[in-house]
Amino acid sequence: MKSKKRTHIHLAAVFAAAITVSACAGSSSGGSSPASDAAPSSEAAPASEAAPVSEASPATDAAPATDAPKATDAGAATTVAAASGGDTTPIKLGIMAECEGAFGGFNEDVVAGVELALINFAGGKAKSRTSALDGVEGATIAGRPVEIVGIGCGDDTADRAIQEVRKLVEEKKAEIVVGPASGDESIALANYAKDHKEVTFINGIGGAQETTLAVRAENYFRYNGDGAQWNAGLGDTLYSKAGWKKVAVIADDYSFGWTSSAGFIADFCAAGGQVVKRVYPPLGTTDYSTFIAQLPDTNEVDGYFWAVGGTGTQASLEAFVNSKGELSGKQHAGNLFFNPGLASALGKNIAGAYVGGFASLPGDVKTPAITEYLASADKAWDTLPGALSANKPAKPSTAAGFGFFYGYYTGGMAMIQALNSVKGDLSDGHVAFRKALASQTLDAPFGKISLDKNRQAIVDTSVQQLVLNDKGEVVSKTIAIIPGVDQTFGGIFSDTTPAPSRENPGCKTATLPWQGKGIPVVDGVPAP
Amino acid sequence: MSTKRVPPAIEGIVVLLVAVLGISAPLFGSSFFVNFVLTRTLILGIAAASLIFLSAYGGMVSLSQFLIAGVAAFAVGNAVTTSGNGLHLGWNPWLGMVTAIALATIVAVIFGALSSRTTGIYFLMLTMTFSVIGYYFFSQVTTFSGAGGVSGVRPPPVFDKHPSRIYYAALVLSALTYAGFRYVIRSPFGLAMQGVRDDPVRMAALGFNVSLHRTIAFAFAGFVSAIAGVLYVWWNGQIDPKSIAIAPTLSLLIIAVIGGISRLEGAWLGAFTFVAANSYIRLIPLVDKIGITPSRFNTLIGALVVLIMVLSPEGLVGIFSRRPSKQTFKK
Repeated sequence: MKSKKRTHIHLAAVFAAAITVSACAGSSSGGSSPASDAAPSSEAAPASEAAPVSEASPATDAAPATDAPKATDAGAATTVAAASGGDTTPIKLGIMAECEGAFGGFNEDVVAGVELALINFAGGKAKSRTSALDGVEGATIAGRPVEIVGIGCGDDTADRAIQEVRKLVEEKKAEIVVGPASGDESIALANYAKDHKEVTFINGIGGAQETTLAVRAENYFRYNGDGAQWNAGLGDTLYSKAGWKKVAVIADDYSFGWTSSAGFIADFCAAGGQVVKRVYPPLGTTDYSTFIAQLPDTNEVDGYFWAVGGTGTQASLEAFVNSKGELSGKQHAGNLFFNPGLASALGKNIAGAYVGGFASLPGDVKTPAITEYLASADKAWDTLPGALSANKPAKPSTAAGFGFFYGYYTGGMAMIQALNSVKGDLSDGHVAFRKALASQTLDAPFGKISLDKNRQAIVDTSVQQLVLNDKGEVVSKTIAIIPGVDQTFGGIFSDTTPAPSRENPGCKTATLPWQGKGIPVVDGVPAP
Repeated sequence: MSTKRVPPAIEGIVVLLVAVLGISAPLFGSSFFVNFVLTRTLILGIAAASLIFLSAYGGMVSLSQFLIAGVAAFAVGNAVTTSGNGLHLGWNPWLGMVTAIALATIVAVIFGALSSRTTGIYFLMLTMTFSVIGYYFFSQVTTFSGAGGVSGVRPPPVFDKHPSRIYYAALVLSALTYAGFRYVIRSPFGLAMQGVRDDPVRMAALGFNVSLHRTIAFAFAGFVSAIAGVLYVWWNGQIDPKSIAIAPTLSLLIIAVIGGISRLEGAWLGAFTFVAANSYIRLIPLVDKIGITPSRFNTLIGALVVLIMVLSPEGLVGIFSRRPSKQTFKK
């Protein structure tokens, strides 16, 4: 009994000492160095090994333009405000990334996206020439230095996202958070935003519909489309161009998979098609055979639509080959995860498949703005170990051309443009800043972006196709650009309709605002 | 270490010191430290204490404690939210809390009854199976959750947007949990439970209903876990199936092992070590240069567990107890 009592005392004393010590650590941690949270590498497998944009990035062609990458009004405002000698306290920026889980391979990509915006529009300079995770120095917006207070390490679950964003907001005192990268995370962060009105959130690339359509936090802004918007036009193309009438859908069983398939279903059914089967395997499944078995056979449907992402795309298609026979581009279509890299494992028969759009466009479309943007990435770093190069060092433009990088880039760009227009004013609960964010139009490299009343982007998206190039390689090609796609699909989705799920939306014919208005793209040039 | 008995006065002072530090933490700690690190420590501590209670005094190493907490958390989420995943019944938060704790305790009674005839590794495997079933139940049955979990869960107005009140609630409930478990351990039921742990055959021969004792112990621990689950969802605002998957379930066991699975105090000590390591290791300058990044946290905790197991098989608590108690060591 004696020894027991003594143990209590010791324990209590140690616990008390520990509390005191870490309380001190906690209170002094606010001023940690920028990006000190960064993870230098990811253990997660990359979603794909080849870039849909692999043809892009002619850095040398655009060299003369790179010295002044689209700094236009943003740059001008910086000078004005700096000259006016206003507030010079640092703007505390947190980046919510993913370092583990299905999209952990995109950690470098998304962090680099925000940083490239700081480099292009706020005079920043990458600290390392080979990694974005070391941060950026010297960035100032409207005379105020930008301090990256931390990089959140998510794993695509909502729970972890909340834990990480709390570290950014409550510990590191971030005033603005750019992120997250995936659907469930974005719903959780939008809910969190409602309780933290002092912070402004700008979505990274998370594409769940509910985030902005149902949750609608007034301090949460999304400058990228949701998963449904990205698939606008795809169903119509398959129905009218490829002659599909009956389709089976297989998608990840979580908010992004549901949203992505919802966009396709709404579009395909609007045109007159029929969805005969919907199968939703859990995200991160490794053996898809039982789910493939639930799909109708190849002679029972005209085609299959795939919205299986991350590490599951290839695994699910392989299971299909094992169970139902060879893939044919004529009978398969997919969302943004259907990329040319799949051909290396599945063979070139996949060529011909139609693919939904993403935040950026495939490498065949080269406007001066896109070329300039990609060249600016190559100028900012020598190499980046992005997901599209299997986390091996590669030209930064490889990562920059894909939507994960680009989504965060537009988020950063939106932040800088809005801050410049209000001269860095974050007073009064960011009121002026948020007004600017809500009303501005972003002249982004892959097209203009404006926001609707729910602070959700209205975007131009694209329909793509996997094709064989001259060398016999499978590459992505843009078929059409679908302009002005809004989140509601002309009223099919609203805050009163059920959120996308395994059963929703139903299959109904309708007239969508963009039906027949797609801009055909011939040899990489939009031809209105 | 001195073998002299610590005078009661000093003992009182130290206990008082912990109490004062706990109560005054919001005055000297940063809001992150109090509302995140300490609150999370206390909540995980309550859940880990239920595991340690079952393990140290009932001889049952349960891997269902996090699941039962999760059942309570999901029940709160389904009951109180008004939109999003789940049933969103829009109930009063207090009603949601009572229902959730009752429901989770009922689940604990059922699991307890089902597993009460097994011991040792079989008990561990059975409770782990419950956890796995629970994870798939909540990630597959979209009526109650689905993979995205239940978001936007608001605590009762008294706690809403007052994180330090949740901290104090967790502090009070931790103290009550500790006191409650200690009381039960010394009660006739608790003594019988320890008898069941040490020699179930003899206890049965003496006329004790062994499986009933185990079931009741499991239900009581489940009730405490349910409290932790409710606090967790109030504090975190959301719960998703991955929160109760196998990795967090094992984390709770790791917390208990780090702290010391033979003593109740180990629960909070282990939880604090776990949460502080997760939150603060990354702040050490240049630590990321030697590969210790947030994504390597599990590696770090794994190394810590190995270190503790080698140096002190009874966890951090064991470092301070000179002579391990034979009873607990045997099991």
